[in-house]
Amino acid sequence: MSEIALSVNNLVVEFPTDSGPLRAVDRVSFELERGTIMGLIGESGCGKSTVAFALLNSVPTPGQIVSGQVDYPGVGDLLKMSDEAQRLFRWQHVAVVFQASQNTLNPLRRIDEQIRELATAHRMRDPKALLERADSLCRRLRLDSRRVLHAYPHQLSGGMKQRVGIMLALLLQPDILVFDEPTTALDGLSQESVLQIIREIHDEEGLTGIFITHDLGIVSEVADTVAVMYAGRMVERASSHTIFSGPKHPYSQALMNALPRLSGDPHLARGLRGSPPKVIGDQFKCLFRDRCEYRMEVCDQSEPQLIQVAGEDAQVACFLHGKEVERVSV
Amino acid sequence: MVISAPADTPRRRAPSSGVVGIFLSRPMRVVGLIILVLYLFMAILGPVVFPPSVALVANPAKIYQGPTWADPLGTDFQGVSVLAEIVLGARGVLMVGVGAAFLIVIIGVGMGLMAGFTGGFVDAVLMRITDVFIAIPQFPLLLLVATILNASSPWLIILMLSLTSWGGLARAVRSLTLSLRERDFVEAARGLRLGTRLITTRVILPNMLSYVAMNFMVSITGAIYAEVGLLFLGITPFTPDNWGVMLHEADGVSGALYTSSSILYVLSPMIAILLLQAGIIFVLGALDEVFNPRLRTGATR
Amino acid sequence: MNTLRRFGVALIMIWMVVTLTFFMIRLMPGNPIFDAYQTLLQQGVPSQQALVQIHILYDVYPNQSVVVQYLLYMWHLLHGNFGTSVVYTGRPVLPIILAAAPWTLLLVSIGLTISFFIGLLLGVLIALHRNTWFDNLMSQLASIFHGIPNYITGFVFLYFFTVILNWFPFGNIYNPAIHPGFSYGFVASVAYHSVLPIAAYVFGAFGTWTLSTKSAAMAVLGDDFTMADRIRGLTSEQQLEHLVHNSVLPLFTGFVLSLGIMFGGAVFIEETFSIPGLGYLVATSTAQRDYPVMQGVFLVLAGAVIVANFLADTLYSRIDPRIRV
Ligand SMILES: Nc1ncnc2c1ncn2[C@@H]1O[C@H](COP(=O)(O)OP(=O)(O)OP(=O)(O)O)[C@@H](O)[C@H]1O
Ligand SMILES: [Mg+2]
Repeated sequence: MSEIALSVNNLVVEFPTDSGPLRAVDRVSFELERGTIMGLIGESGCGKSTVAFALLNSVPTPGQIVSGQVDYPGVGDLLKMSDEAQRLFRWQHVAVVFQASQNTLNPLRRIDEQIRELATAHRMRDPKALLERADSLCRRLRLDSRRVLHAYPHQLSGGMKQRVGIMLALLLQPDILVFDEPTTALDGLSQESVLQIIREIHDEEGLTGIFITHDLGIVSEVADTVAVMYAGRMVERASSHTIFSGPKHPYSQALMNALPRLSGDPHLARGLRGSPPKVIGDQFKCLFRDRCEYRMEVCDQSEPQLIQVAGEDAQVACFLHGKEVERVSV
Repeated sequence: MVISAPADTPRRRAPSSGVVGIFLSRPMRVVGLIILVLYLFMAILGPVVFPPSVALVANPAKIYQGPTWADPLGTDFQGVSVLAEIVLGARGVLMVGVGAAFLIVIIGVGMGLMAGFTGGFVDAVLMRITDVFIAIPQFPLLLLVATILNASSPWLIILMLSLTSWGGLARAVRSLTLSLRERDFVEAARGLRLGTRLITTRVILPNMLSYVAMNFMVSITGAIYAEVGLLFLGITPFTPDNWGVMLHEADGVSGALYTSSSILYVLSPMIAILLLQAGIIFVLGALDEVFNPRLRTGATR
Repeated sequence: MNTLRRFGVALIMIWMVVTLTFFMIRLMPGNPIFDAYQTLLQQGVPSQQALVQIHILYDVYPNQSVVVQYLLYMWHLLHGNFGTSVVYTGRPVLPIILAAAPWTLLLVSIGLTISFFIGLLLGVLIALHRNTWFDNLMSQLASIFHGIPNYITGFVFLYFFTVILNWFPFGNIYNPAIHPGFSYGFVASVAYHSVLPIAAYVFGAFGTWTLSTKSAAMAVLGDDFTMADRIRGLTSEQQLEHLVHNSVLPLFTGFVLSLGIMFGGAVFIEETFSIPGLGYLVATSTAQRDYPVMQGVFLVLAGAVIVANFLADTLYSRIDPRIRV
């Protein structure tokens, strides 16, 4: 079929804490096909942003990638590359539209100065060309390029800053774009216009990317495939169509309960009480069992693995599905 | 080099993380506490151990002696035991330091609260006055006031020290008040139509108590610095047993600077001051952590 | 507009200091002028003549009303007339101050600059190596040095480097045998004499700078743009530049406040090293109760800090784009 742009294998990220290493991402694996967008959903704190940072080997300190591979076909495993090669790889191959985009611009530099810095950092001989590209991107994003490029970040509104963030992400024509809740910090109107822009670009260019959000409505619209994370684990992965027509994992079902349109925290969704556990060390149980209405004996004895659901374009980590149930209950 | 967000990596620490745990987590804090207790003892019991009428009598036969069992720190240019002078000096230094810090806190908090809570014209005037006091170099002002008042009593010195150094605290308290004012619980208190005075004393003040307590300690170090400095310059009339006076004499009449046999006499008052300041600073670090749990290492988000 | 407003505030503050001083010296109980008048009377000087003498000595008119005195005082100050010295009879105060000021300015500004840069360097390094042995050691050292009174630092330097080791000259700012001027010998002599006092300033102040840089830099490191810079693939040098630039700005206000502290500290350092600057002048005139000189130096120091404050505020709004309107 089509070409793989990114394949993540058994990724583990830990943050040291008083009570031991907190496992923010636990053995996560997935593949991203070129020209598709993968939606990444899950409650706050389940490790979505951490996965995104790990894709660039930029997990915030004190976090650490403990094991796993982040393989970009044609380039290789990012984690094995030299520091300088990693630095150049960032933003040229993978760019991010940040969750807290409002504050991701250096407050003391004009936007065009920051673009020049990008040009220098990525060894471009002609920063003018980059500025021109910025100029045309601005127009595409419906930004008054002359004003915006000469402005300091504090002179721009929240929505404008977010669009500048998108502009910067598109600037070096990366292969892969990561959107980390690009609309969460915006008011309704700006949310809509930012989404509109992303949709347009996707329609025109066929983006390859990962779209992290709480808003399932957006996922159903934008994403080709969807991955659901819970407490650092990936619990379900399926094509967008499959998962929205019938989520397999009880957690996914709980998240979808409030469809068609849930803006805001899925925490509040019906059927989901309590909060996800903080995972420290190996767990030999299902992490969702305390909140699950289908809780079984196995759930306390063994940890479900992500397995292919027979006959469907879906993978799920739950004893309700697949052969696991039989094997354990023997 | 990798530039990244500050890592709040947890350090190993005792499992108890109460006040005791915080002190025990760093040995220097315990040392600081011991130092402060020691000074307190010196201030209270000093005159009992070394009765001034005996201990401070000049003895020309013993000028600049090295350490002996009787005088572990040697003797000064008059043959007086340096240890006795140091121990006897503690009371005066501590009293002025604590007294001045107390007044500084009262004036600073009072001005800051009033400016912050009243706002408007009162605020503007009070802040201009505060700015003037912040801008004036404290020491020259202190000298001017000290000579005019011919300050000899410790109370007067306390008064002068506090009058010249409340500015910074007043400013900080004002901005704290301004930010507290916007908080929900103050809004709520206002909604209940509690009077300004009640709101300030019952609602706002308790919320900045930890900050004020920290500042009290900081003010003690500042006041001790200034007090000893005044005596060092020989401006305020002497009480014979004060570390600042010892420094002054070491620098002047004693001729200590022309001989190296005076080394213990010269160093002792300095070390006495340094230890006291260091003790306060170490304990301050611990208090900071007690009051601001966020600073505690390993706290997870 | 804003600059104009700040300028107005600075003028008002200067006026407040001047007024405060006037009332302090002339109207406080036991004020020196009244004291001097009483002394003259006790010495048997007729009261009329005593008044004339007081007038000459203190440039005041004891038989005028307070308002007239105040206006005269202001009028004289506006014309640079700070009165005449009591000890060096008849010498006007202003030239005495002007002769002393350069030494203070020289030592304080060099000391401030050096300590600022040392503090900046250490603070940024500590923030980058948070929770390592380097952080622990340097933070403790900085807070200890921050707490050491500068007269002690000065005294220790003086005692060890001149009395015991005899490496540096004792007292004064240049060798009196050398004729002052822009000769190599004179400049070298000043530099030689300046080493210890500057070192005393630096040791007294670098701890403060280290601590405030550290906390500013930690705040910047926690900012989202630091994380974004890294992910955008900026070079280490570019990231460091952003870090330093963003950390320096919040220190600016402290920089100005520290001027007042440094000038205050000059009293001790100059007294300890016998440097004929403003601080020394304050100390000696105080010891000799030379009120016109004391008052003059005090006004000049306070005025200098206020003016520096104004300049720094104005400058700050130029270097921080967020303040600019
Ligand atoms: N700097 C950090 N220090 C310690 N723990 C961290 C840090 N950053 C993240 N974590 C931990 O990692 C886990 C995952 O965090 P992450 O930010 O990836 O969640 P998220 O799914 O993006 O949540 P949100 O929807 O709120 O953005 C959290 O439980 C959090 O406690
Ligand atoms: Mg996130």
